[in-house]
Amino acid sequence: MLTQTDFEQLIRSYNEDYVYLLIRASQQSYECLISSFMMLKDLYNVIVKLQDSGKYLFRILPYPLSFRANDELLKKMGFSPEGIDKIYGFLDFVKNTQGQEFEECLEGSVFNLCKAHPGDQPWRTKSSAD
Amino acid sequence: MANEKLSRLIEKKREDLTQNWMRMVRSDSRIDSDDLLTRSELRDHVPAILEEICDLLLADETPTPTNTLEGRVKVFLRIQQGYRGLDLAREVCLLRTSVLDFLAEQCSTPDFNADLKTYHSSARIIDRYFDEVLCNAISVYSETADRPPSNDLLDS
Repeated sequence: MLTQTDFEQLIRSYNEDYVYLLIRASQQSYECLISSFMMLKDLYNVIVKLQDSGKYLFRILPYPLSFRANDELLKKMGFSPEGIDKIYGFLDFVKNTQGQEFEECLEGSVFNLCKAHPGDQPWRTKSSAD
Repeated sequence: MANEKLSRLIEKKREDLTQNWMRMVRSDSRIDSDDLLTRSELRDHVPAILEEICDLLLADETPTPTNTLEGRVKVFLRIQQGYRGLDLAREVCLLRTSVLDFLAEQCSTPDFNADLKTYHSSARIIDRYFDEVLCNAISVYSETADRPPSNDLLDS
């Protein structure tokens, strides 16, 4: 049974990971960042759904997982204008390499990321029927 | 299909709706917390919220806690800016009014060809979206109420 303390620890871990990924984006270290954000989004959704169930409180706030027009938020988090530019640069990087917006990537399957080019077929596991 | 058309209209008028909402907030004497905000801080996430609503209308998707992220950003930022919960609620209500007024105006034009059912379907998505924002705001403000509205809320 997940306790309120466990829930708060989950939020702390999520917040740390979120800041870490943003720092990487702000340093233009984009490698494997999309898949990391996809997994973090799953964790964020779990946190939000747990709180929404009414059993846990937001005594600690999770960072809202969004990238759209977030200048104010990124400034509040302490990123420099150059760092913010590079974070937005990550969004362009995603569009160029994946052929779709970052938000669309987050909604899709992680296997869609295993493509050399935007038009390629996603990678698939071999089923027993094959 | 009608939701799709409305989504495109809101998208097209996103800037006008944002400006209209900012005027409504600035002129509402009941809202005090905005006095110290710059224009950019007041405006912050409203265009992104409208974009998210457009996406939901386009997909005919019901707003839930996990697909109303931009609304959550707004609540997160406002609590950090020291906004009073009541003022945030009024801001959100003004935005809801502004969008629903726009919707009614568009649906009543003869060339739009929208019936009450169409209006209701879109209005319901918009309404539910702002309900989610308000529910989140109430949670955040009440559950973290014993702590100062600053960065230490994050406890990171």
